[in-house]
Amino acid sequence: MEQGRSIVHFVNVGKTYDGERLIVDDLSLEIARGEFLTLLGPSGSGKTTTLMMLAGFETPTRGQILLNGQEINRLAPHRRGIGMVFQNYALFPHMTVAENLAFPLNVRALGKAEVEARVIRALDLVKLGGFAARRPAQLSGGQQQRIAVARALIFEPELVLMDEPLGALDKQLREGMQYEIRELHQRLGVTIVYVTHDQAEALTMSDRIAVFDQGKIQQLASPTELYEKPRTSFVANFVGDNNLMAAEVDTLRSDHLCSVVLEGGAKVIAVATDELMPGQKVMLSVRPERLRLDPDAGAGTSSRLKGVIEEIVYLGDHMRIFVRTANQVRFLIKAANKEPHHGLTKGGMLTFGWSAQDCRALPV
Amino acid sequence: MTVTAITSPDDSRSIKRELTRSLRRRKLQAFVLVAPLLLFILFMFIYPIGGMLLRSVYSPDFARAMPATVAAIAEWPGSGTPPETVWAGVARDMLALQQRNEAGPVAAALNVEMSGARSLVLKTARNAGKLTAPYREAMVTLDPMWNDARIWQAIKRLSSPVTPRFYLAAVDMKVDEAGSIVSQPEDRQIYRSLFLRTLLISGVVTLCCLILGYPVAHLLANLPLRISNILMIFVLLPFWTSLLVRTTAWIVLLQKQGVVNSLLVWSHVLTDETRAELIFNRTGTILAMTHILLPFMILPLYSVMKTVSPVYMKAARSLGANQFVAFTKVYVPQTFAGVAAGCLLVFILAVGYYITPALVGGESGTLISNMIAYHIQKSLNWGLAAALGAILLTAILALYWTFNRLTKIDIIGLG
Amino acid sequence: MALPAYVDRWERIWHWVYLTFCALVFLFLFLLLPVLVVVPLSFNAEPYFSFTEGMLTLDPAAYSLRWYRDILQNGMADPTQLFSGWSWIGDAWANSQWIHAAKNSIVIAIGATILSTLLGTVAALGLSQSILPGRRLIMALLISPMIVPIIVTSTSLYFLFSEIGLANTYLGLIVAHAILGTPFVVITVTATLSGFDRSLIRAGQSLGASPLVVFQRVIMPLILPGILSGALFAFGTSFDEVVAVIFLADYDQRTIPRQMWSGLREQISPTILAVATILVAMSILLLTVVELLRRRSERLRGLTA
Ligand SMILES: Nc1ncnc2c1ncn2[C@@H]1O[C@H](COP(=O)(O)OP(=O)(O)OP(=O)(O)O)[C@@H](O)[C@H]1O
Ligand SMILES: [Mg+2]
Repeated sequence: MEQGRSIVHFVNVGKTYDGERLIVDDLSLEIARGEFLTLLGPSGSGKTTTLMMLAGFETPTRGQILLNGQEINRLAPHRRGIGMVFQNYALFPHMTVAENLAFPLNVRALGKAEVEARVIRALDLVKLGGFAARRPAQLSGGQQQRIAVARALIFEPELVLMDEPLGALDKQLREGMQYEIRELHQRLGVTIVYVTHDQAEALTMSDRIAVFDQGKIQQLASPTELYEKPRTSFVANFVGDNNLMAAEVDTLRSDHLCSVVLEGGAKVIAVATDELMPGQKVMLSVRPERLRLDPDAGAGTSSRLKGVIEEIVYLGDHMRIFVRTANQVRFLIKAANKEPHHGLTKGGMLTFGWSAQDCRALPV
Repeated sequence: MTVTAITSPDDSRSIKRELTRSLRRRKLQAFVLVAPLLLFILFMFIYPIGGMLLRSVYSPDFARAMPATVAAIAEWPGSGTPPETVWAGVARDMLALQQRNEAGPVAAALNVEMSGARSLVLKTARNAGKLTAPYREAMVTLDPMWNDARIWQAIKRLSSPVTPRFYLAAVDMKVDEAGSIVSQPEDRQIYRSLFLRTLLISGVVTLCCLILGYPVAHLLANLPLRISNILMIFVLLPFWTSLLVRTTAWIVLLQKQGVVNSLLVWSHVLTDETRAELIFNRTGTILAMTHILLPFMILPLYSVMKTVSPVYMKAARSLGANQFVAFTKVYVPQTFAGVAAGCLLVFILAVGYYITPALVGGESGTLISNMIAYHIQKSLNWGLAAALGAILLTAILALYWTFNRLTKIDIIGLG
Repeated sequence: MALPAYVDRWERIWHWVYLTFCALVFLFLFLLLPVLVVVPLSFNAEPYFSFTEGMLTLDPAAYSLRWYRDILQNGMADPTQLFSGWSWIGDAWANSQWIHAAKNSIVIAIGATILSTLLGTVAALGLSQSILPGRRLIMALLISPMIVPIIVTSTSLYFLFSEIGLANTYLGLIVAHAILGTPFVVITVTATLSGFDRSLIRAGQSLGASPLVVFQRVIMPLILPGILSGALFAFGTSFDEVVAVIFLADYDQRTIPRQMWSGLREQISPTILAVATILVAMSILLLTVVELLRRRSERLRGLTA
């Protein structure tokens, strides 16, 4: 990424609250202008802390944060010009919707007419035209959420931070709002840094996703790459469903493939992700939808296993089949509901397989 | 599962009856629990207050002491001097009072209406045995003041048991000789300025408490719980320390030979002769009352501030407000409920304060409560005391009621 | 509260002004006054209300316990006999003014506490049931002694008690103080009950306990801290009350605050400071007990670990 395009640059940022445990550990990250970047990770992995450092509510213990090339470590939050949407919206309860929206404009001493015009425009933007005079408590959760977004955008910041903005909404509203935020982003061209621990949300909304674990970025990539080519077993497991098998590298091959030995002794071919060494312990990862129920039918199946069907869950468009192999590894298979799968019964034996390209050997 | 439907109207009615009956039983149970305290409060608190309030408009003592006069004077229209029957009644009543040795209260009551009447009544009572018909001549000979029409009008006013005169007196007004309501002469006006002073001092005390208490409550609400709990004990300590101890502390500190003055003399700011008057005046009252009432401001403020999430300040700052704007525009408005509760509580307590002003108030620092006590204990003008008390009580209840209307907070929940 | 690195100079200065202000309020208003002034002066060897040179230089001769001795001696038939032999004990017990006042204070406060705690707790049990008709009004009535100015209450009771013969009696004072104390009991117990999970009662009954057993074993232990702190408030109120005593008691029923009141109005002697010191010590003790009770109640209700 060339210098001019990046708006935020974390340089070796570290943060500790207690002087012992690093909540954010040597974080380096460049955020491109206009991009939708999501910080994804389990609870306590340091996402909010990272966001708070960017917003100015926490100071990095070490390292630098650059905004448009300027160091901002010691810049007060209100001088940064960064918009922020808080998890529970933080709409000021004693002000009306219009007053909430006008707040950032008034503190910037904008003219009265200008403020009014912008408030009206912002309300239209989030499709809440008639709600100017209401108090936040008189709005539904989704409406409050939209006002919070409008308030963060109204002073036209280049950069907007959102900390789990949809966390408090029910599933249906969430999906609607995901779409709306995404659309606002495209229309206005602002840079958005978005925090969530919902991987589906991250996949649908983001240009790029940074997967956090224990204060470190495990992988920073586009949603497709993250799903298709996870670099660590943590990422593979955290993003989407996955089947993991412990194994050991046997030999490396020239075409990015390697052959590994499973715990039971079976040999399998897999894609070698990093520079692996023979004898290294790895995790094999295969997505459940890439497992084939009829391994002999199509070409390309390179590995196959046999196991007892433990459970079949019917989900309409697909079925989830849980299989336990002889050496007690549990597999999840997603089978599309295309043709009837006769002969699949609980307790029965099943042979399944996968292609070598779908199986990745990840360092542990 | 089977559901038995209520089919016939008979069934439904009996079920409804069951329901009402059980509801009534539970209501009764709850009421029986409350009843003892309710009766206690009604009979030992509400009833006597009612009785006292009654004294402010109802004063049968004079009529009881002078039955013959009261009976006779009803006929008299009120201009000039009354007919002989009334004079005779007065003479008879005076004699009876003298025999029972009860002329004092009558003399006092009449003196309130017309100065100089005390000695007139006492003198007449002493000589009542010597009075003979026609009483008019006899009494005027004894003291020509009896010829003054105003004394008779005063007697006529007092003879009616239901009277507005205490309330009039409580707001520095009176019924003049012509029977119309007028203000007291300037030099005899006490109560209006006393009410004003009470309100003023209470207002100043409330303001002082707010200025001192707001930052402290803010600090308490934002410190880590471990530290704020310890500091809270310091806030509560005076709460639990005897009122008199705290007032004593102020006297010790501020009196002429006290700590502060001695310190100032010792550091040559003052000399021994120019020791400052810091107490036994209005300043003393305000200082001591502020100290004593401060916890009542801090506690409601604190409990409201505790509920204001720090995220609002962050939101304000991220929207571009500096610390000051964020504090005044976002934080302070969210604590208004606490400010209102604290101010009301302190103001109500201050308006009715007695002990501290009595001890450290001197001349200029006494409040309405002290005047009520004076009329109960010293001047024995109970009707006036009752009227003053009624006005005080009404003001406080009105304040409390408006407050409850305006806000939905419970100032009582001090915890 | 640590200050973030970004704050500018004005904010920093303002922050320090704020902290200094709070520190001063704490020091002067909450600590210095009752404790730092009254307590040392009560050990003054001289009959003055200011620190003598000797006290400031920590000369032991400038300090004495004479005002504490005076608490006992004041009113004794033969004050010179204090601490010699045993007979002075009977003399002090019977004649010392402050001991007389202390006995009255304790008797009246205990009586008032029992009365108000009993009535208040039972009433709170009824008040906590939302089914009670006119609950808001009843609550307002029961709380009203807190709002009505004490002078109005006292004078009203003075007239009533004079009529029904309760003036200048212990019972009259106990009743008066119970009236002033019940609102505290009602408030604390209803507050405890409102945090009380009603399903616990059903749980108790479903496990086979009779209503009485449920009350004893489930309700009582959980609301006891509330009752106790209400009772402590009532005790404190009575122990500190002086206006009602002024109007409703004569010399025989004089309480400690009443005795201090006359001391302050007539001639102030440092004996009052010695008494005040003892009261401060007592209130610290009382406060500690209340705080411990509060913690226990929160622990029981699972509010803190
Ligand atoms: N002010 C603070 N003081 C001390 N520790 C803190 C503070 N704020 C956060 N932490 C700790 O830092 C760690 C990371 O917290 P952070 O809020 O960044 O996590 P997160 O990734 O946002 O998690 P979540 O998804 O639950 O919001 C947690 O273990 C938390 O306990
Ligand atoms: Mg978080």
